[in-house]
Amino acid sequence: MRNNSEIILKAINKSYQKGSNTVVVHDDFNLTIKSGEFVALMGPSGLGKSTLLHLMGGLDQPTQGEIFIGGQRIDNLSQIQLTQWRSQSIGFVFQSHHLLPVLSAQGNVELPLALTPLNRKQRKEHASMALQLVSMSERANHYPKELSGGQEQRVAIARAIVSDPQILLCDEPTGNLDRKTADEILALLAKLNSELGKTIVMVTHDNKAAEYATRVINLESYILSQNKTDKQSNNADEAGVSIGSSL
Amino acid sequence: MNIWLLVWRNSFRKKMRFALTCLSIMVAFFLFTALAGINHALTASVSSINQYRLMTSHKISITRSLPINYQQKIAALPGVESVSYASWFGGFFQNENNQLAITAVEHNSYFDLFEEYQIPQRQLAQWKKTRTGIVIGQSLAEKYGWKIGDKVPLNSSIWMNKSGSFSWEFVVSAIYKSSKHGADKKIFFQHAYFDKGRAYAKNSLSWLSTKIVPDTNVDQVIKSIDSLFAHANNPTRTTTEQVFVKEQAQQFVDMAMVINIVVIAVFFTLLLIVCNTMIQTSRERRNESAMMKALGFSSSSLIKGIYLESLLLLGLGATLGALLASVLLGFIKQSMADFLPGIYISAQHYITVFALVNIAAAFCSFFPALSIKGIVISETLGGKS
Repeated sequence: MRNNSEIILKAINKSYQKGSNTVVVHDDFNLTIKSGEFVALMGPSGLGKSTLLHLMGGLDQPTQGEIFIGGQRIDNLSQIQLTQWRSQSIGFVFQSHHLLPVLSAQGNVELPLALTPLNRKQRKEHASMALQLVSMSERANHYPKELSGGQEQRVAIARAIVSDPQILLCDEPTGNLDRKTADEILALLAKLNSELGKTIVMVTHDNKAAEYATRVINLESYILSQNKTDKQSNNADEAGVSIGSSL
Repeated sequence: MNIWLLVWRNSFRKKMRFALTCLSIMVAFFLFTALAGINHALTASVSSINQYRLMTSHKISITRSLPINYQQKIAALPGVESVSYASWFGGFFQNENNQLAITAVEHNSYFDLFEEYQIPQRQLAQWKKTRTGIVIGQSLAEKYGWKIGDKVPLNSSIWMNKSGSFSWEFVVSAIYKSSKHGADKKIFFQHAYFDKGRAYAKNSLSWLSTKIVPDTNVDQVIKSIDSLFAHANNPTRTTTEQVFVKEQAQQFVDMAMVINIVVIAVFFTLLLIVCNTMIQTSRERRNESAMMKALGFSSSSLIKGIYLESLLLLGLGATLGALLASVLLGFIKQSMADFLPGIYISAQHYITVFALVNIAAAFCSFFPALSIKGIVISETLGGKS
């Protein structure tokens, strides 16, 4: 592992307004993901799995609390700072790949490199390497409409890793794929984790997908255990004893 | 892959929409450029070609006649080289669908003033000797198959002759060519024949043409001609020939006003069309924009992309429209050299087009820019599609 890519969510509160009501998604949520982990976030819909992913990726900001990624606090960054930070630190893989139909696989993978000082030749080389990693070299000049769902997702993964971020955030990356293709994509993610040391956080509903992760967090039971620990901590505090961090 | 390539590819993503929008822009800028060229002809200052030739007509209207002896009076003024005169015949050949520009001219002096009509000396001399002779343009001779010596009956819609008929007999005495392309479609005949033959308004003319001595103060000569007849029964109004032509054209309609109205209407419509196209484009690519933001592209870089797309669309349409208008104006300039001289598109017009394209591109990117700014990545990409 080359860099610190530890993810720390500290006392996160996240709520939003729905009409006149305030909907609380997370209340005093804590989580630490160590560098090089492949974490599967699971649990029923509506528990805020994707919200957590968005918070980690700086796509959303907490109502309260602190977020540290690789030692850097990101919850207090401006939108412009977050945009810049994202381009260097995070790779995203979504359920829907959102490849640009007007660009070839090579072009789509090169896209994030347009934000870097790399020259044209270097961008091309980096993109070719990323496509090679996801076994899509032969399809480099194909356009998204000429690719299968699994191939499109591979290109999306190549796009996510091309600027060499240490963290990959995947939101249901196999949600639109058949079992066989999904397994191929998951194996690819596991390879990126084990061989390149990428820290991967993957939101999924698929138990089979979770098998590829090094740690599975079932959000429902995790939150319950957190609350229980907090209660114990409060009781201990009352008794004058500290039991430390919840994680 | 770079942002320019992306802008280029995105522009041609919906080829039919791009082509149709580009076509509407092309039409708008075609009209703008064509009308600007014509407007220049109507409003530009006097050109050097004919600023030494003056036109004198009745102060009230050109339809009112002036006495024929005004020729000698003007000729006697200082700074005047020669004077000729003419009357409008208003004629046609065979039926009123074949309208012709027929003018009765003072045969001894007229073609000395108007050197652009190239007549062989022998034919000119023959015409001067032939009372019923006409000088016709090469194009007309070819169109109707008229040759020297042919007898041609022409009708006037204004002038009745002594026999009570509107049909006048002529004989082709000379055929002229013109140095101005398209100006060889006129017919000239002797004013003496016209004056003697018409049933009324004898010894009168429609307008006088005065050639002034080079380097003479044009305004001074104009002033002295009009002052000479200021208190006469038939006061005059003298202008340079070009101003005279423009004024005749502007009698039909206030071109400048029409041009302004058309241009404003066209550009307003154009803005709505392009604006709508860009809003639609931006809406269709909302997910892609959100993804690009997630990848680290700033809102301003995405807005820049939309602006460049608008600029490409507008720039291409405007260039094609302006080019087409320039080509067309080139033809009009040649074929209407006599009626509407001075058709010209200035460099300033192209600068205006450039500025308009940029302003329109900025305006058309405004609403998509708001939309891009307002994209919440987590909401846009959060939904499972």
